[in-house]
Amino acid sequence: MLVPDFVPAITASFFIPAIYAAIIVAFIGLMGIAIERRDIHILILTDIVGLAMLIIVAAVGTDLAEALILPGLVVELAEILAISEILISREMRRIESKNGDNNVKTSVFPLPLTLDMEVMTTAPNFIALVMLGFGAFLTGFTGGAVAGGGILLYILSRKSRGLPIAIIDGVSGISGIAWCLWIIGFVLFFLAPEFWLLSLFMAACGLVLKVASKIGLIGTLMREEYKRE
Amino acid sequence: MDLASLGGNLLGTIPLGDIVLYLTPFHLFMFVVVLIFTVLIAMSRTETQVEASFKTLNDNKVSVGLEEFKIRRFLAIVCGLATAGAMITGDLFNFTLFATLIGIVNLGIVSAVKQIDVLDAAYNYGLIAMICSLPLFGGAAIILASTGTLSLFEIAKIATTAPMMTFGALLLLIGIAGETGTAPFFATKAEMFRTPGSPFILIIHLSSLMVIIRAIEIILIIIKVI
Repeated sequence: MLVPDFVPAITASFFIPAIYAAIIVAFIGLMGIAIERRDIHILILTDIVGLAMLIIVAAVGTDLAEALILPGLVVELAEILAISEILISREMRRIESKNGDNNVKTSVFPLPLTLDMEVMTTAPNFIALVMLGFGAFLTGFTGGAVAGGGILLYILSRKSRGLPIAIIDGVSGISGIAWCLWIIGFVLFFLAPEFWLLSLFMAACGLVLKVASKIGLIGTLMREEYKRE
Repeated sequence: MDLASLGGNLLGTIPLGDIVLYLTPFHLFMFVVVLIFTVLIAMSRTETQVEASFKTLNDNKVSVGLEEFKIRRFLAIVCGLATAGAMITGDLFNFTLFATLIGIVNLGIVSAVKQIDVLDAAYNYGLIAMICSLPLFGGAAIILASTGTLSLFEIAKIATTAPMMTFGALLLLIGIAGETGTAPFFATKAEMFRTPGSPFILIIHLSSLMVIIRAIEIILIIIKVI
């Protein structure tokens, strides 16, 4: 009754099988969590339960459900990042207390990290430039991810060739201001729908700057730990 | 139940497209209470815990450094604002998002205590919060699928309760309970009163209390049994 007429019957009939599939996936994930004893494996298995949540939300398949999927995905990512940070911090503390000496600081990456890939030395600048241009053309979330990947590749390749990296401290500031632009554009959608084109471009350009600078930020953070012998 | 018998007379609505906020005395009271508590917590300083040491007359003071104090105060204010938002919102989707924000921020507040046992508890709480995002978002999605809307103002107008609406509401309750870490899921939270830096820990108890009250109101709006 709630499904509009133009939706084919087969699409509407997928809802119940999708719910069952999600429940089965979540059950498999929970069984794995109950059996597994190592913490890091439990954390990875918990992500399977999160995927089952995405399946249930995606089963609804309307635009409102699409608006639920993105925050659901972001919440999953944020929680898995937070929990892995807690796990790392706990293990570092445990090793420090086992050593007994508080002066010995443990590193996040206990192994030396080297990236000897051909793409790092052949034409990284060109690839990074193409990715930046394509990201700016795409705009929005996808474009930001592509452009940020370009920035990341550029920083990693310069580091692996041993060249100096210009450190820009205001990157996080750019990210924050761009995010404000996105929010203003979004609020303008509700308050003044006749300016939809302006608010669309504000939201899209704000988002591309925000995501690109966020991923670029990961690259600048990585330079601390990268290529440490 | 209808909106008036749950929250008092309807004071007005704020239509923002298809998101309709509605104001009742109940919501306004809870909103103001949470804001007052947030201001009080933002102004307060951490308490220094004094542990008596064994076989000597010395005291061992466990205090919180300035850096950690600032991070914790920030997280506590965010948690208070998220709770206030969950009190006033008229949209089921926004309510679930505020609940997950409270969950993540609670995780941060708990894990700011740099002790191995507390970090262990925070790790387990994080796992539960992550698993419980399945019933939370799944319940909201099932209610959306069975009613066609997420606005509580519209759901309150629907006369009958479909079985899937009841199922979705129960999933939502499980999700809220797990995300805010109440008793069956995270019993360690009750022991969290006396860790160093107490006043900021209190906001996680206040937020879960307030959010559970609001969740029960929302579930009574969805399930029309009484």
